[in-house]
Amino acid sequence: MRTEIRKIHEMMESADYVTDPAIATSVHLAMTLKKPLLIEGHAGVGKTEVAKVMARMLGTDLIRLQCYEGLDAAQALYEWNYPKQLLHIKLEENTPHTMSEKEAAIFSPPFLIRRPLLQAISATGAPPVLLIDEIDRADEEFEAFLLEVLSDFQVTIPEVGTIKATQPPYVILTSNRVRELSDALRRRCLYLWIDFPGFDKEVRIVTRKVPGVNERLAREISRFMETVRTIRLAKVPGVAETIDWAQALSSLHADHLDEELVTETLGCVVKDADDIKRLKRELATGGIGRFVAAQS
Amino acid sequence: MGAPRDLTRAMLAFGAMLRASGMPVTTSAVMDAVRALEAVDLMDRAEVYLALRTVLMSRIEEQPAFDRCFEAFWRFHAEEGQGLDGLVAAVQPFRKEEEMDSGAIEAAREKRAQVALDDWDQGEAADEEPLEVPGLSDREALMEQDFSTFPAEQLDEVARLTVQIARRLARRVSRRRKPTRRGGVIDLRRSMRANLMKGEIIELRRRARRRRKVRLVLLCDVSGSMDLYSRFLLQFLYALQNVFGRVETFTFATRLTRVSDLLRGPSYKGALRRLTEVRDWSGGTRIGESIREFNQTWGRLLDRRTIVLLLSDGWDTGEPDVLAQEMLTLKRRAARVIWLNPLLGNPSYEPLTRGMAAALPLVDHFAAAHNLSSLRELAAHLRVR
Repeated sequence: MRTEIRKIHEMMESADYVTDPAIATSVHLAMTLKKPLLIEGHAGVGKTEVAKVMARMLGTDLIRLQCYEGLDAAQALYEWNYPKQLLHIKLEENTPHTMSEKEAAIFSPPFLIRRPLLQAISATGAPPVLLIDEIDRADEEFEAFLLEVLSDFQVTIPEVGTIKATQPPYVILTSNRVRELSDALRRRCLYLWIDFPGFDKEVRIVTRKVPGVNERLAREISRFMETVRTIRLAKVPGVAETIDWAQALSSLHADHLDEELVTETLGCVVKDADDIKRLKRELATGGIGRFVAAQS
Repeated sequence: MGAPRDLTRAMLAFGAMLRASGMPVTTSAVMDAVRALEAVDLMDRAEVYLALRTVLMSRIEEQPAFDRCFEAFWRFHAEEGQGLDGLVAAVQPFRKEEEMDSGAIEAAREKRAQVALDDWDQGEAADEEPLEVPGLSDREALMEQDFSTFPAEQLDEVARLTVQIARRLARRVSRRRKPTRRGGVIDLRRSMRANLMKGEIIELRRRARRRRKVRLVLLCDVSGSMDLYSRFLLQFLYALQNVFGRVETFTFATRLTRVSDLLRGPSYKGALRRLTEVRDWSGGTRIGESIREFNQTWGRLLDRRTIVLLLSDGWDTGEPDVLAQEMLTLKRRAARVIWLNPLLGNPSYEPLTRGMAAALPLVDHFAAAHNLSSLRELAAHLRVR
């Protein structure tokens, strides 16, 4: 294994992120090739976490752009601070400044609201990590706009001029596949699919994130989650749910799973009323043994 | 370690192989692959695999194809044993070759290359497993292909595209802006008005894009003559149902069945199973009577924000007059009535069936629904004024 990759692996682990070679290799390549990394996977498998850990690892800023339906350039790139401009005009009313001086004043950087993309481009010092979270929630128009920004990391603000990144940021995009992304965007990015963790990885995650959980409980929790994910549910629980649940069990001072405990805390595992009903039914018919002892 | 030029050659070949398997690999991705190989340990097969996957794959559905190609490529080049010394020799060192004399090596090498090529060829041909992900061009082809001609193994891909189209439809519905407290753009007109009494502009008004909710009522013909298409249309309905939120779905042949609740749920197969339990997928079609039943029992679902989508080929065994009458009622109550007819995809088809002829003047939009591309075009029409 290349030393850089092993180092990233170790650094991620020491930043409390349980990782695997696939993730470490992708992060390494994103940093070496200076290309955006698109991370896909089910909800709650730790996609966003990769960017956070990366920033912590590199000791730089994390700039986050949370996408949503209707997100537009004004919210993502920059906007003039209109109220402040109005106030300034009002205050300047009786000063001897000429019209063009006043105009220059209100269209200067102090009146500019820097949204995440501009922040990332105009950052000085070490390149920051730009996290574009849940890009699949933004509209296709925004995706096209983003492509433009990502291809040359420069922005032209008519009143100020062109701002170009001295050092392009590291870009991480995440998607839950609510919408299919365009091929153009995919082509521009490196790709990483994070699957639900395997049994061993999940045990490691639980013991790392929730120190109060003993080895046996961690294994039982992981086995349980593994089985639950094979059941057809409306919303399959991710790692986030595993950790929530482990925390709940830990605060109940549990040291192993039993039927009563599971039934009481099922709300941590699945968050959909029908799914809870379904799981309860499965528990009632098959018993807890089916979930915990299955393959071990 | 292999010289960069050898790596480039190898990656170009690998890229071509991936493309042949339907993955949309561009030349710049191939160049990235070369750079990626320079950044990893070429002696470590797992690492080379991960690096190439990161660079050359762009969606998880491509993984089976990628894995197959990687496997085959690796084997092929290891056998051939030329050029890529670094990349190749690392995995399977040719210890035996060192012991042979050069002539024998040449011959063996030639033979092995031959065998590997033959193998590869056969491997491709004998590969029963269908490619899970069609490439770009294939995807375009899928868009235009008539539903009735899809082989069974492509259904999953069609399902995926259908859902994608339905989601796009759901989003495209509104581009108008509505007033909002924060975000969006400055609304000059409203700002002026709001500040009229103040003599100058103090308060700013803003507006953002409105997500206007359109309601849909879907009436789907599931009679015998529609059998070919109904499974796709139902898939489309299923996707719409789960995306739009406010959708009511009915199926009909000789009588009307409300299936909205049956279509809700995480899996299409489950929905389909529930549907087959209630259907009267058969016999003749009585479109007029079915719509009358809808108007009488479910008329309250209609208002000026509701679009009615009627999916039928218009082969009606009922009375044309009844159909005309009921279509008129529909049209009066709903915002729009759209008739989707899969037969319209056939250039020689003319809507001459009696039912069709009676209903046509009362329809706002009449379109084909015989392939994915025609479903996609629907977007423009799913709007209320």
